[in-house]
Amino acid sequence: MSTTEAIEVEISGLSKEFDNDGQTVVALDGIELSIKRGEFLTLVGASGCGKTTLLRIIAGLELDYEGEIDLEGIPIRGPGVDKGVVFQDHRLLPWLTVEENVGFGLFRHAEQERRQLIQHYVDLVGLRGFEKAYPNQLSGGMAQRAAIARALVNKPKILVLDEPLGALDAMTRIHMQNEIEKIWRREKVTMVMVTHDVEEAVYLSDTVALMSSRPGRVKKIIPINLARPRNREDPAFQALRKEILTEFQLQTKAQFSYEI
Amino acid sequence: MSANDLSLAEAKTSVFITSPNVRSPARPKNRRAARSHSRRVPDLVLESIVPVTILVIWDLVTRLQWVDPVFMPTPLSVARAFYDLLFKDRLLLDLKVSGITVLEGFTIGAGLGLATGIAAGLSSTVDKLIGSILNSIRQVPPLAFLPLIILWAGAGDTGKIVVVSKAVFFPVFMNTLQGIRSVAREYVEVGRIFEYPRLRMLRKVILPAALPSIFVGIRYGAGMAWFMIIAAEMLGGRHGLGYLLTRAQELLLTDQLLLVIVIIGLIGFSVDVGLRRLERRLLRWKRGFEG
Repeated sequence: MSTTEAIEVEISGLSKEFDNDGQTVVALDGIELSIKRGEFLTLVGASGCGKTTLLRIIAGLELDYEGEIDLEGIPIRGPGVDKGVVFQDHRLLPWLTVEENVGFGLFRHAEQERRQLIQHYVDLVGLRGFEKAYPNQLSGGMAQRAAIARALVNKPKILVLDEPLGALDAMTRIHMQNEIEKIWRREKVTMVMVTHDVEEAVYLSDTVALMSSRPGRVKKIIPINLARPRNREDPAFQALRKEILTEFQLQTKAQFSYEI
Repeated sequence: MSANDLSLAEAKTSVFITSPNVRSPARPKNRRAARSHSRRVPDLVLESIVPVTILVIWDLVTRLQWVDPVFMPTPLSVARAFYDLLFKDRLLLDLKVSGITVLEGFTIGAGLGLATGIAAGLSSTVDKLIGSILNSIRQVPPLAFLPLIILWAGAGDTGKIVVVSKAVFFPVFMNTLQGIRSVAREYVEVGRIFEYPRLRMLRKVILPAALPSIFVGIRYGAGMAWFMIIAAEMLGGRHGLGYLLTRAQELLLTDQLLLVIVIIGLIGFSVDVGLRRLERRLLRWKRGFEG
């Protein structure tokens, strides 16, 4: 890894245990991970590998762990506006309209600035015309766009996304992947995304961190050095996809044979 | 035929591809209009059928003198009683007295219930401190406090206000507490991500999320308040709709008796309709099963 680029998030010796009916489950074990400024990193792994837990720790939502995690050299002590979060369930507040949801984090701003920021981000995610709609009037993809806009309005240093497209159908999903890449390029924000879709990871990432389950470890770090925008049909793209998928399946098989 | 089907299917698919996730937001107003449009019978007609039928039967039964007028006067004589009571007697004064007293009691009871419910909902320490004493008071019917309060404060309005407040307090308190306790953690987490201070979290996340539940308490409490003011006025005092009932009973004025019952019902009904409208407005973001 080149050392000339600034490190945004530095994770070292990170371990997390859960207590499950008196039994200790090791969710994360000795995670070492550096995320560069402006990088798009995806965490890929089978369900139960602790990737969501890792994401919640980066977001400051989980504080009970061992090891160290720094954001721009300062330990993460809790959630905050410098760490934007997009959840799998969009988590828009149902009693607020799209524009009110997008402006949810802007209560310290002057009214005019607030309006401008809201309009900017509503436009960025392509929701112009839907400002007054309530979340229950939106499709899944539109709700997730609004959630992304809400997470971006405070210009966070890092945006973490927990399977943001997991609940969407295949067509909408591909469309939203393009949108997320566009937003990432325009806003130049560091993004860390959890996914179990290998193609999505290869399409979007600078780096794929492949995780293994029980205990959750970073098994392999795979840089994706393909030119953007990427072509899913490109042989190099397909080769990378296959490589990660093979690793992924090896690990899943091993896990099953172990459990049976 | 099959070629037609195919082209239709194609057209649908192409629309889907060009705009995979743009669904125009249906405005509730359009939706309601569409609903009543699709129905053959307008709501007002549907809702009037049963009341009008009852009125017709009542008129027939009394006009044909199947029942002694002392037990059941005709609708017309009840209407005449209304005219007399309104213009030659004191109906307006009694309406005013009942209305003001019930409003005072409701405001105090709902206010205290809301405040206490929020405090107990946010802090389990507060809940433990006051939970058991409140639960004990809850078991005593509101009217049981009336003699004691009359002893302390005399037979004025104080006793009635206390009775009404007590009746309103508990439904509002319990539904507020329950509403706050069932606010999804996920929403609170969103507030934490944006570093919401405590008070802002309460105002912008917790209370809106608990509002549907709080409204159940307020509507139920409003009904209880109306029951209680009538009952309290029947027990003591020299004014109010409840007193009119007692007076009509003593003078054997069955038409007035029926009239006051109808007035009480109509006022309670209107208040509930008003509250339901307000609820629909405040909770317009919520979509439930509408039958």
